[in-house]
Amino acid sequence: MSETIEEKIKSYRTAPFDARFPNTNQTRNCFQNYLDYHRCNKALSATDQDVAPCDWYQRVYKSLCPMSWVSKWDEAIESGSFPGKI
Amino acid sequence: MAHQAHAYHMVDPSPWPLTGAVAALLMTSGLAIWFHYNSIVLMTLGTVLLLLTMYQWWRDIVREGTFQGHHTPPVQKGLRYGMILFITSEVFFFLGFFWAFYHSSLAPTPELGGCWPPTGITTLDPFEVPLLNTAVLLASGVTVTWAHHSIMEGERKQAIQSLTLTILLGFYFTFLQGMEYYEAPFTIADGVYGSTFFVATGFHGLHVIIGSTFLAVCLLRQIQYHFTSEHHFGFEAAAWYWHFVDVVWLFLYISIYWWGS
Repeated sequence: MSETIEEKIKSYRTAPFDARFPNTNQTRNCFQNYLDYHRCNKALSATDQDVAPCDWYQRVYKSLCPMSWVSKWDEAIESGSFPGKI
Repeated sequence: MAHQAHAYHMVDPSPWPLTGAVAALLMTSGLAIWFHYNSIVLMTLGTVLLLLTMYQWWRDIVREGTFQGHHTPPVQKGLRYGMILFITSEVFFFLGFFWAFYHSSLAPTPELGGCWPPTGITTLDPFEVPLLNTAVLLASGVTVTWAHHSIMEGERKQAIQSLTLTILLGFYFTFLQGMEYYEAPFTIADGVYGSTFFVATGFHGLHVIIGSTFLAVCLLRQIQYHFTSEHHFGFEAAAWYWHFVDVVWLFLYISIYWWGS
């Protein structure tokens, strides 16, 4: 944990082990990172900060999630029908 | 031989098990016919036959026990076991619906928004009518116990009063729950929340109606002097069933109404 977030994003290979989701079913891992990416964007841009650190969450969910889920959720966000709290 | 040399009840041949089985067949196949061919004739016929079977079978049991003396202590013991086993099976029935509720609510899927209650569901306030319903059923548990003690102490008038009060409280619960169903901002079709809510509370409500009916029959029998202070198992069975219904409600209230809100 001594690297900065930029270094971590630059040396990203794939999603690391997340002890919050230890089991085989990684659905929640994917969904949580998707939510966290959008929440991070919303929170940082609300206070006019740089949203670059949010890219970590995007890297993780893009590694973990099925593409069909991501496009379905992206469409839902656009149409205003996404059920998650962002 | 002239008379039996044991205390057990060898029941006379009866058509009601057969009519009950036929009713079950007509009701189930009638349900399928209703779904696919838009006719309720078969199902209605089955329901009528079921009601007639229940009325006549239980009437015969009252005749055999109260008027003919067949319900000796060992026979009564068997009836007790039977009621306890039946209620146990009902416990497992409800356990399934609680399992369904907890399965869906402990790990809510992304489709629900990853949260419980799901996005878009406005739950009922547990401290409004549901809390009143809890008080009503708990009070009815007290009044049914009062009725039992009245019967055991030979207090005829008090037994009738407390049993009537119990039944009225049961009706009040059903009325309140009916109003809640009518006014609820969500329906059974509203995702897994609606499904688990209405199936669990719906079956509970049905059991309240069944229990109230059982108690009402006991009231009629008490008025007609069927019960003695020593022997009133029909009433005890109704009281057990009523307490079971109360306990199921408490679990429903804590799990679905309160924790799930």
